[in-house]
Amino acid sequence: MTAERSDQEDASQSTRRAHSTPSRSIFAVPTPIKQLFDRFPLLTYSPNDLPQRAPRHRDAHTLFIFAGEKDAADGAPSYNPACLKWQAYLKFSGISFQAVSSNNHASPSGVLPFLLPASTETSKPPPPVVSAKLQRWAINNTARAVEEPGDLRYEAYLSLLDHRIRRAWLYSVYLSSNATSLSEPLYILPTSSNPFVRLSIAGDLRRAAEKELLKFSAIIDAEELHRHAEEAFEALETALGDDPWFFGASQPGLFDASVFSYTHLLMDDNLGNGWTDTRLRDALLKRKYLTRHRERIVASYFPDTGTGELLR
Amino acid sequence: MASPVEDDVFEKLKNKTNHKQEDDDLNARNFAQHQRSQERLAELIDDNTSLPVTISSVRVLHANRTRRSFLERVVNPILSANRDEQFTLEEALKEVGKATDKLNRFGIFKSPISVFLDRPDPTNPTSSPTDVDVYISAQERGSYTIKTGTEVGSSEGDAYINAELRNLFGGAETLNANASLGTRTRSAYSLAFDSPILANPDFKFQLNGFASSTLKSWASHEEVLRGGNSKLLWRTKNGHQHEFGYSGILRQVTSLAENASPTVRAEAGNSFKSSLTYSWINDKRDNPMLPQRGYLAKSVSELAGYGPLKGDAAFFKSEAESQIALPFGDTGITLTAGLRGGLLYPLALGGSGAPQPSRINDRFQLGGPTSVRGFRLCGLGPHDGSDAVGGDVFAAGGASLLFPVPKVGKDTPLRLQAFINGGRLLSLKNPNKEAPMDADTVQSSMKKTLASLRDGLPSAAAGFGLVYAHPIARFEINFSLPLVIRAKEEARKGLSFGVGVEFL
Repeated sequence: MTAERSDQEDASQSTRRAHSTPSRSIFAVPTPIKQLFDRFPLLTYSPNDLPQRAPRHRDAHTLFIFAGEKDAADGAPSYNPACLKWQAYLKFSGISFQAVSSNNHASPSGVLPFLLPASTETSKPPPPVVSAKLQRWAINNTARAVEEPGDLRYEAYLSLLDHRIRRAWLYSVYLSSNATSLSEPLYILPTSSNPFVRLSIAGDLRRAAEKELLKFSAIIDAEELHRHAEEAFEALETALGDDPWFFGASQPGLFDASVFSYTHLLMDDNLGNGWTDTRLRDALLKRKYLTRHRERIVASYFPDTGTGELLR
Repeated sequence: MASPVEDDVFEKLKNKTNHKQEDDDLNARNFAQHQRSQERLAELIDDNTSLPVTISSVRVLHANRTRRSFLERVVNPILSANRDEQFTLEEALKEVGKATDKLNRFGIFKSPISVFLDRPDPTNPTSSPTDVDVYISAQERGSYTIKTGTEVGSSEGDAYINAELRNLFGGAETLNANASLGTRTRSAYSLAFDSPILANPDFKFQLNGFASSTLKSWASHEEVLRGGNSKLLWRTKNGHQHEFGYSGILRQVTSLAENASPTVRAEAGNSFKSSLTYSWINDKRDNPMLPQRGYLAKSVSELAGYGPLKGDAAFFKSEAESQIALPFGDTGITLTAGLRGGLLYPLALGGSGAPQPSRINDRFQLGGPTSVRGFRLCGLGPHDGSDAVGGDVFAAGGASLLFPVPKVGKDTPLRLQAFINGGRLLSLKNPNKEAPMDADTVQSSMKKTLASLRDGLPSAAAGFGLVYAHPIARFEINFSLPLVIRAKEEARKGLSFGVGVEFL
């Protein structure tokens, strides 16, 4: 069955209006006919209720992250470093938001996280904010914006995280023996209960991780990836030193959030089904300043998780 | 002055017209002769209807690629050796007619299939005086067809290629491969295998695999489907069609529009549907595109995710449709009335835990030129912003009065129509908006939702227009105005255009 409408493309109300304005000048509707048309519909009732799965709390900012449905509602940290980074950063910025469990298909950029700003009944819903624009958005939407240090070493250390540690993380979680104990229960099992779908998603994930690693070297050398990560941790440890936050800041910033997104997950005993290949984790556990940095953030910004873990 | 060459040309042209005349004469003579022989044959058969005959052999000619065992199943029942009673000539012809009709319906032979009767050689000692030999000349159609083409609609264009392999294993099996690319249905690929069971054209088995990607602009997303189904189809003697099947489909709600509503964002992602479907159609209309008289009754039921079916979606879904056409004498004026309804009942996945709230892929949509006219495509029911997010229960009805176009007459497929139609599409009411529903709550909510279908007047529109019924699709152009709507429902004022095969 096919069904056509001449102009029912996905134009929003506003674009429809925009289209009709110029056409009015060409096909001018005589006033009496317009008045007649305006009388229809003769009767308008209140709108239909939305289905059960429709989100209810729209008056709060919503961060879409990788997380269990219940964990997200409880404000527990995401199991994905990119999501956890922004989750922590928004908390540092003092912005109140709700987190919801989601997946990459929901995101306008194709990757999580992204944020849907709060909307009211009457106004047009604001566009989603993708992760690349989250820092700017956060600065504009908070009373106490986190100031980023103008340190010269900032970029260099950031590249340690974004390259060396990230690559070792990708290898460790998706390609090493952790794949079955971490990436499977966290990323694959929740997507579908069907074994074929899971198998195909598992393959996709693995290939994506391999492709990402092969961008930087011709072969995937586990030894080298781990060595680079160990060096990076050592450098970060030295950079942090005895200070509570990186670069001697008085409060945590985006860099602290970035470090925390890896250190927290590496130190989390309850991540997925636990770490089986512990090499990357062990490299971090040796660094006492970094581990304390993580504990500090958990205690002040994710208190429920922190205490829960200690009790366990 | 004409040159000799020119004269020659004129001569030739003249000759040609003479030939044409001769041909015409010849054709006329042949036709007359043929008609006379037909009349003689009819007389002959009339005189001999009660003549006892036995069918001693049936020979199917030209069916070289068709399996013998397959043909045997069709012709065996008419052989006298397999029957207790004796034929009269009339009965024998009727039975042979049935067998050829069956062969015709497999779609692997060129029509018409011709039949010859012959007396076996009387000197052959094994033949009896009542014996008749039947020769069925069944020319096979080509073993494959490849079609390519483009289609353009008012807001959709696509290009397709279709290949069909016929009579694959000599038993009227068909393999059909289709690929299309378009603006709304972004891409669609399918491979279908179709085979009659026990050489019966009314009893078929189908196996399909498909992948497609469709732009669902009314809900700001693209739906990607990958999966397969298998079906048993049968048609009973009184024309009822039954279909029973299993399907397993991975659905993906992806490529959301920038301004997609929060409801659609919450629906993004994968879900696997594993379901059993049963459908029944009883179509007694004289012409499905423009019925003058008759009725249609149709129902489709689906059980997904329940018990051993697993998957990610669990529900029972049932939809029914009926249409009736009443003629006003022989005036060409017809009243057609249609009624549709459906409900989606959430079930617990695997039979345990809490019932699953419905997903956007499974919910009903209502509104549009082939559904409730005078509304935008999927314009009825719950809307989040400009997104039609669908509903769990619906009812819709409409009536059209069709008149022949003056001076064009009632024998053309053109009609003027005046219509009124309306409907409701509702989501399942949840008494406690926060907590998930348990099985008892679902039951009481469903009752409440069904009852609230009658709250107030249904959303409705009325209008008039022109209908053209082409054999493959019906075209309508209508002017309509909405009468009753719910806020956020998207009605249409003015002209709208519709193409489809089934209208309300």
